[in-house]
Amino acid sequence: MSRRMPWASGYFRTGYAQDFKLIETRLERVSAGLFAVALSVFPFVASPFQLDLACQVFLAAIGSLSLMLLTGYAGQISLGHAGLLAAGAFTAGILFKEFGAPFWVTLPAAAAVGALLGIVFGLPSLRLRGLYLAVSTLALHFVVVYLGGEYETKRGYSTGIVIDPPSIGGYAVINPRIWYFVLLAAAAATLFICLNLIRSRTGRAWRAIRSHETVAEALGIGIASYKLLAFVVSSAITAVAGALFAYYRGFVSVEAFSLFLTIQYVAMVIIGGMGSLLGALLGAMFVTLFPYWIEAALAALPGAARYASVLFAVNYAAFGLVMILFLVFEPLGLVGIWHRIQTFFLLWPFKHRQVTGTNR
Amino acid sequence: MAELEIKNLTLRFGGLTVLEDVSFAVEPGELFALIGPNGAGKTSLLNCISGIYRGTGQIRLRGEDIAARPPHEIARLGIARTFQHGELFPQMTVIENLLTGRHARVRTHPIAEMLFLPSVRREEVRHREAVEYIIDFVELERYRHVPVGGLPFGIQKIVGFARALALDPTLLLLDEPSAGLNRDEREDLARFILRIKHELKTAMIWIEHDMQMVADLADRIHVLDYGRTLAEGAPGEVLNNPEVIAAYLGRSSNNPSDDGARSISQH
Repeated sequence: MSRRMPWASGYFRTGYAQDFKLIETRLERVSAGLFAVALSVFPFVASPFQLDLACQVFLAAIGSLSLMLLTGYAGQISLGHAGLLAAGAFTAGILFKEFGAPFWVTLPAAAAVGALLGIVFGLPSLRLRGLYLAVSTLALHFVVVYLGGEYETKRGYSTGIVIDPPSIGGYAVINPRIWYFVLLAAAAATLFICLNLIRSRTGRAWRAIRSHETVAEALGIGIASYKLLAFVVSSAITAVAGALFAYYRGFVSVEAFSLFLTIQYVAMVIIGGMGSLLGALLGAMFVTLFPYWIEAALAALPGAARYASVLFAVNYAAFGLVMILFLVFEPLGLVGIWHRIQTFFLLWPFKHRQVTGTNR
Repeated sequence: MAELEIKNLTLRFGGLTVLEDVSFAVEPGELFALIGPNGAGKTSLLNCISGIYRGTGQIRLRGEDIAARPPHEIARLGIARTFQHGELFPQMTVIENLLTGRHARVRTHPIAEMLFLPSVRREEVRHREAVEYIIDFVELERYRHVPVGGLPFGIQKIVGFARALALDPTLLLLDEPSAGLNRDEREDLARFILRIKHELKTAMIWIEHDMQMVADLADRIHVLDYGRTLAEGAPGEVLNNPEVIAAYLGRSSNNPSDDGARSISQH
C-alpha cells in the first residue's frame, strides 16, 4: 500500500513514524544537501576575516539556541546568560591553569558547572515570574562575574587567563579552518539536541508551561521539575558555549562577559523570533554581524575618517533602534519575515490565504 | 467502591466561604451532573478535586485520599479535566495539544529525548497512535495539524475535551463544555459524552447550565447554591424540586412565563 502511485500528487504520510521525520520531501532533502555543501565549501573560499565571523556566529548560535529553549519555549526570562557563559569559560580556564586539564575534561566540567548553576538560577523561578525572575537571575550574573574577577586578581592573572588551544589526538586546533568545522559541529549538535527536546515530551511540557502554568499542572506536568530542567539544560549548553569561546579566543577575562553580552543574547532571541529554533539561528547571525554591517555602512559614507571615533556610539544606538523596530513592527522576528516570504512564493500569484493557523 | 468520594469538603478564601460541608460520591462510569446558579462554587469544587485549590475535608479517589496531593500527581492518578474557557495551548497544533494532555502517560527520559533514541521514537509513535484514536473519536481529523489558536471557538472547546480524554482518565471533570457552542456543536458534544459513558466507561463530573441536556443525559444531579448542597438525585426529581427552582429563579419569583422556569419545570 505504501508504494508511490504515479498519479498521486503531493506527499502522503503512510505511518505515524513519518510524523517525526526531520527531512521529508525530496525538495527538503536537496536543499538540506546544498546547504551542507555550501557550509563545507565556505572556509575554503572565505577570507580569514569572514572565517572568524562565521566562527563567532556558530558560538553565538549555541548560546542563543540554549536561551531560546529557556525563554522562547519554557517561558522563563533570564538575564544571567553572560554569567553562565563566564562560568563555562572560567571553568575551562581555571581547570587548565590549575590542573593543566585537557579540553575533553574541561568541556564536560563546564557543562556540569553550568547544570549546577542552572539549578541555582532556576530555583527562584519556582516562586518568581517575569520581571522579578529577570532581576534574580541578573543578581546571579554579578555573583559569577565577581567570583571570576576575584580569581583573576588573587592568582595574579589580572589581565586574563591565557589558555592553550585544545588538542585532538596530539594535534593542536589552531588552524581557523579546523576551528570552523569544530564550532560548526558543536552548533549542529546543539541544534540537534534542541530540536529533539522540542519535539518530544519535555518540549511539549515546556511550551505548555509557557502558555498556562495552572493548566499544564492540571494535565499532569510537574511544573517545578520542568522549570528546573529547562534551566539546567539551557545553562549546561550555555556553559559549554562559554568554554568553547574561551578556547577559540585562547583567553578568558571577565571584561568579555558584561551585561551588554546578556542583552545581545536576549536580542538574538527576540529579533530571531520567540519560540523558534530557526529564529535563534537567524537572530545569532543577525546580532553577530550587525555591528560589522554598521561599520561597513559608515565606512562607505563620505568622510568616513571623521566618524571613526563615534563608531561605538553609533553601533549601540543602531542596535537599540533595531531592537525597538523589531518589537514594534515584527514581533515574530526574522522568522516571521521568513515565513511571510515563504507564503508569498507558495501562494503566488495569489495574495491571500485562508487564515487557519495564525501563529500567535 | 466509589470512583470519587467527597466528604465534608469546605473551602474558604479569607472570610468568604466558597464551599461548605459538601459531600457526594460518584460511582464508576457514572455521569454525574453538577448544577447551580452562577457563583454557587461549581468550578471551585472541580478545582479542589484537581488539587488547584486546597479545602478541608476528604477527597478519595478509589478509596485513596488525594486531598493533599499536588495537581500533577492527581492528574497522573487518572483525573483529567476541561476548562471553562478552553485554556488550550494556542501555538501548538491539535495533535501537540493532545500529546501534551497525554504527558502523564508518556515514559521517556529527557536524556534519551535529546538524542531521540529509538526507544523515544517508539514511545512517540505509540502515543501518536493513541492520540489519533481520540482525534477519530471526537471527529477532529480535519484540524489535526492546525495550530489551535486559529480554530473557531466551538472546535477549540472540542479540542479541550479531547485533550482531557488523551490522559486516558478514569474520572473526567467537565467544566461547562457546552458553554458558547451552537446547537449543532451541542448535539455533537452530547453524542461524545454518551460515547465516553458507554464505550470508555469513564466516570464524569459535569458542570452544565443547559438543563435540557442535563435532564436528558445525566445519571444523577447534584445542586449547589452558595457553596451548599441543595439537592441530589435523579434528574426528574431534582429538577422538579421547588427549592432548586427557587434557587435558579429567586425565592419570590411568581413569573411562570420566565424562560428558565419553563426549562426547569418541563422535567
